[in-house]
Amino acid sequence: MPVDVYWRIGTHGDQRSLRDRTVTRGDWSPVVPGSIAPGVRAGRPDGYSHLDHMADVARASELSGFVGGLLPSFPFTDDPWAAAASLARETGTYRFMIAFQPGFLHPVQAARMSASLQRATGGRVVYNVISGGGGPAQLWWGDKVDHDDRYARTSEFLDVLKGVWHGGPFDYEGRFYRVEGAGLPAPLARQPFPEIYFSGSSPAAIRAAGRHADHYLSWLEPFPALAAKFGTVREHSEELGRSPRFAVRIDVLARETEEEAWDEIERGWRHVDPAALRGPEVGGDSVGWLRGQSFVDWPVTGPRELEAAPNVWGGFHLLRGGPAFGLVGSYAQVAARLDELIGLGVDAFILAGVPHLEEAHRVGENVLPLLRGHDLRDHAPSTPFTATRGTL
Amino acid sequence: MTAAPEFVVAVPTRGDGARGDWGPGPAPRPAFLTDLRDGAYGPFDHLAQIGRAAEIAGFHGVSVPFDPAGEESLVVTAGLLRQSRWLRGTAGFHPGVATPVYAAKVAASLQRFTGGRLDWRLAIDLDPAVARAQGDFAEGAERYARADEFLTIARGVWHEDSYTYEGRYFQVLAGGFQAPLSDRPFPRVHLSGTSAEALDLSARHADVHLFDAADAAGAAGAEGGGLGALIADLGARAAGYGRAVASGLVLPVLAREDGAEVRAEVARRAAAGSPVPALAGSYEEVAAVLRGHLADGVTTFVLEAAPHLEETYRLGEHLLPLITEEVPHAG
Repeated sequence: MPVDVYWRIGTHGDQRSLRDRTVTRGDWSPVVPGSIAPGVRAGRPDGYSHLDHMADVARASELSGFVGGLLPSFPFTDDPWAAAASLARETGTYRFMIAFQPGFLHPVQAARMSASLQRATGGRVVYNVISGGGGPAQLWWGDKVDHDDRYARTSEFLDVLKGVWHGGPFDYEGRFYRVEGAGLPAPLARQPFPEIYFSGSSPAAIRAAGRHADHYLSWLEPFPALAAKFGTVREHSEELGRSPRFAVRIDVLARETEEEAWDEIERGWRHVDPAALRGPEVGGDSVGWLRGQSFVDWPVTGPRELEAAPNVWGGFHLLRGGPAFGLVGSYAQVAARLDELIGLGVDAFILAGVPHLEEAHRVGENVLPLLRGHDLRDHAPSTPFTATRGTL
Repeated sequence: MTAAPEFVVAVPTRGDGARGDWGPGPAPRPAFLTDLRDGAYGPFDHLAQIGRAAEIAGFHGVSVPFDPAGEESLVVTAGLLRQSRWLRGTAGFHPGVATPVYAAKVAASLQRFTGGRLDWRLAIDLDPAVARAQGDFAEGAERYARADEFLTIARGVWHEDSYTYEGRYFQVLAGGFQAPLSDRPFPRVHLSGTSAEALDLSARHADVHLFDAADAAGAAGAEGGGLGALIADLGARAAGYGRAVASGLVLPVLAREDGAEVRAEVARRAAAGSPVPALAGSYEEVAAVLRGHLADGVTTFVLEAAPHLEETYRLGEHLLPLITEEVPHAG
């Protein structure tokens, strides 16, 4: 089974490095000399926008051998649909993995946008279906539907989206959606249906994933926990006669040597807010976030205390916005960990590194060539895991 | 008083004649001719050509209508804006396709990406069967009440950073965009329709109210009629809210050098079963009609002319100079 390795296109600007949290790419910080997209020229903004930097990240990761890029969606980010539609003609083979919450677009509209985007890109749209983290952010979006119902809605949304995709007439009457005589027009209906990467860690999410996911996507967690989670998804899917594949979203800090990698973490650590070292704060109903924080004994005093397993580091959220866990180590170590994940049944990765542009080249050129895939005879996993390999 | 007019090209959403994959294509080429196109082009290349033509021929914008049986307008508009510097892009959609917060969020990014060149055109008065196929079961005046709420919330989250609105159709709690998402202007809102509800919604929310040729003709038949009367009605309603709304006209057009060429083209289209625009004439004749509409208070002209690439160049080179030379650009 081939393994698809994606990169991530930041939709919220980027830092120059993990050494300080100032966002200098994009306009989330004041635009000053040294800012990029927009930059300053003759004392004024130079007319470039964050999209121009996103285009650079897309091209850099396409050139370095990634199959596509995840475009995340949060209240403070640029929008993935807007970015993908704008960048459609600026890459050749690169897939746009669009993160979206089903509740915010009507499924018929989502189908039309997707099909037109498939036509604009030659079939390069991939979905990252997220069902929301709850709490104030969910209300910010105007969504009052509670956690488990959001997954029920996601399920209905995908039923309707698939129902209209190949033309109509399609009728549907659900709790959240109702359509009558719906269907895409013929040229749009000839497009391939986008692959679905499905996120969510709760039982409700895993039930919905079992029905709809091509790939069940998780943030990185210590491998035994990840293996157990995959096991649960596998069970639910098998009950429904489906066999999802597994994908992991991983931040990577890889350097020629292990020492260099940890030195980079140490440099960032000097700027970490001491209050953040006491432990996590909870603002929503995201089960994935709570899980992530449970793998570490808070409070902590130094970065290596966040290394939950060899090279599996749970402090990335202290150095940049986003999930906590990622891989830190030499090129060879990071490659070996990715191989172990392939051994757990993972056949797609969404990798990321800060800064995204330069790290795409670094990881594409130095880490990916070292991957060995399923050939694990010399690569016994360093941590035990319970899931079985083979059928996926 | 004559305001500086804006000229906009209507973008086709179901192919452009034989171009695109919406109908029979051009005749196949003999196999002995080398053809390097295979696989290199897709259905959006023709659309891209039309956008570039509008940009380079001096139009102010392109308008991509909401067409449930055609290409999706936000995707098309985003692509056309990305490849242009000056062009404004109007994306048509109806208020049931997304929550107002999400529609505004997508628009905020497109404004950021394009230097504020996005406009919205809300389609409200849909055919009921078409609406139900989009998952929209609202009917009658309710559609206008929903559109009102949609636009109120979309603007609310754009302009305030802690915005709460609990409506009948949509809600948002402590929402609102932070900088830099909110730094660009809210899209200019285009609305249409001649019912009292439609004109009143425009009075409250529209930047531009688009009339079409049928509106103009219908109004001309009424007592004291003409587009001028509709525009005056709209203006009075808007004044009641302390606002002003610009008026636009969507106009299929056929313009040629002289009457003989126009007649030949009309005959050719009639024979081919292609639609013949009501407004067909020499460049001078068409310009005279547009001047009449300008005098009525129309400031935006959305011109529909196919095949779009050639006709956009033609109108840009022959028609627009006749109007814009005598009306200095406001900018």
